[in-house]
Amino acid sequence: MAEPGAASLASPILLYVGCVLGALGLLLALPRPRVSPQVIGLLVGALALGVIFIALGVRNADHLPNYNFYIFSAIALASALRVVTHPRPVYAALYFILTILASCGLYVLLAAEFMAFALVIVYAGAILITYLFVIMLATETPTSDAVESLSEYDRYSREPAFAAVIGLILLAGLSTLLVSGSAQLKPQTVDAGAQRIEWVPRRVERALREADLIAADERIARTDAPPNRLDGVTDSGLLMDLKPQPDGRVLGSVTIAYGNNQRRVVTSDDPRWPADMGLTNAEGVGMSLLADLPGAIETAGIILLMAMLGAVVLARKKVELDEAAKAQAHAAGAAGGGA
Amino acid sequence: MNHFSTLALTLAQADWPAPLHQATLMHYLVVSAIMFVIGLVGFITRRNLIIMFLCTELMFQAAGLSLIAFSRFHLNHTGETFVIFVLTVAAAEAALALALVVLLFRRKMTLDAEGWSELRG
Repeated sequence: MAEPGAASLASPILLYVGCVLGALGLLLALPRPRVSPQVIGLLVGALALGVIFIALGVRNADHLPNYNFYIFSAIALASALRVVTHPRPVYAALYFILTILASCGLYVLLAAEFMAFALVIVYAGAILITYLFVIMLATETPTSDAVESLSEYDRYSREPAFAAVIGLILLAGLSTLLVSGSAQLKPQTVDAGAQRIEWVPRRVERALREADLIAADERIARTDAPPNRLDGVTDSGLLMDLKPQPDGRVLGSVTIAYGNNQRRVVTSDDPRWPADMGLTNAEGVGMSLLADLPGAIETAGIILLMAMLGAVVLARKKVELDEAAKAQAHAAGAAGGGA
Repeated sequence: MNHFSTLALTLAQADWPAPLHQATLMHYLVVSAIMFVIGLVGFITRRNLIIMFLCTELMFQAAGLSLIAFSRFHLNHTGETFVIFVLTVAAAEAALALALVVLLFRRKMTLDAEGWSELRG
């Protein structure tokens, strides 16, 4: 499966042509004084994306991503380009929401449903609303709908040619490294985290009960030896021997206790053994978060607390200190408006 | 099977424990690299302070996409967990940076980054 050069390109020149076209499209799409052919820039950028995908895909026809990948990534990149080039800040923020939603589509294609939903809620729902509020608070009201009524720093970009060259160099370097590096990666075959199905015995019981393998009052038997607390949560003290398989099923045996200390063993040889006993995405993320990185959650909580304190402190200061400067700026603005 | 569930099944062709080929991974990584470069170019070229911060969020987003892609490739949830922390940092940064931007705007009544070019070390 992992033959050498499996992730190879059609031709490196095609990739670099795509990069150069992309930089050209970016350069054309950036707003400048006098002529700024933004639509042509967008079209050239789309052509560049097509060339890059052809360069990546032609030699790997058996391993192309789902066609939804192309739809979502085209939407994400086009709206990212509009974030960068749109002269109106509110529209730029709305295009950023579109980028977020399209990357959520990519997350779903990568089997990360939990993060896709979290991204919609946290980014599109909370962070971007804060951005929109600040943009509306801190922008002078445009006098008309024409682009000329916008402030000068929104209409024109700074150093577009320099930025396009920097972007071209970075993109060419990154894609060279990615293409040469990802050919050497070995794909994983077994989901290591699925072993943690033994940490959720009630779920195993429920799955077995729904498959009519055990009765309503039967429970997974405890081990005779006292549970080993030295390695913490990894030993539940229950008699289970479950192994995740490369195809996603979980096979093995579970010992069931029923009246009068009697026991029987249910194994996956039984035809009624449930096929979908693996952990869901949210369960996997939650266990990884709580079992592998418990300290990091505390740190994240402290970061959020500090951000909240900082925002409160900043918001208080501006009321007390800036009255004189604000009056001055208002006076200057009125004078400028009158002139 | 109705049309909606067909569409849902097509979208969720994630088939989680099946190994992801390096070529498929490379597609996602290249998309993430392009998004990062667009964010960087935006950070250089835009002069509105708020849009400059929006472009840093775009770069966060690109990094998150490659983290999720690697998490899928290695069949390991740690990459997804890391995106949660990227989200945390982005939220904290948005709260603080936007408060600062409002403060700066109150002082000069402009969002132009070049209006603050006298801030030198």
